[in-house]
Amino acid sequence: MKEANVVKVRLGRRRARKMARPLIGGALVSMLAGCVQVSTPDRPIEINLNINITQEVVVRLQEDVRDLRRREPGVF
Amino acid sequence: MTRRAHPILAVAIGLAALAGGAGQAYGMAQADTAAELRATRQVGEQADGYLGLVGEGTPQLRARVNDINIRRRAHYAQVAARRGVHPQAVAATMACEIFATSVLPGQYYRLPDGVWRQRRGAEPVPRPSYCG
Repeated sequence: MKEANVVKVRLGRRRARKMARPLIGGALVSMLAGCVQVSTPDRPIEINLNINITQEVVVRLQEDVRDLRRREPGVF
Repeated sequence: MTRRAHPILAVAIGLAALAGGAGQAYGMAQADTAAELRATRQVGEQADGYLGLVGEGTPQLRARVNDINIRRRAHYAQVAARRGVHPQAVAATMACEIFATSVLPGQYYRLPDGVWRQRRGAEPVPRPSYCG
């Protein structure tokens, strides 16, 4: 009984390890993807200066934007 | 048996440490704030809510601007999702705010006409009409 349980546990671990492999791979890939994105400064974010927005929307978003600046003073 | 499970844990912890270390080193290399970049006068604020290079700029400067802009974009997207608006609306609202308070005399700004202008003395920075 106990032996059998141990075998099961071992199998379970092995399976878990196998299942974890793609996860770790995925994490690596996403890390690399993140790095690639950050280290390509040649073409920065496209600038679109044709802004289509009404004053009402600006008023509605003003407080959110002020909060954001308070939270992230270095970024803005 | 428990020992055999550890290599994976160790690898995971190692990777996390590596990523953290790299992130920290990266952060240190790119530690400029937007205010510092504006103060170089080679970087200005745009009406679209992003920083822009006033001239050609060095590749390093371009990278620093891009770094801040990537972070801005993420923040704009977050607020936009919360409020159900387009990220550009949040970005443009931020530009209204920055133009009013943070472009200091001698620093550069760019309105929707696409021309870089320098703020003169105590004159306020002109803002698009939608800023209110």
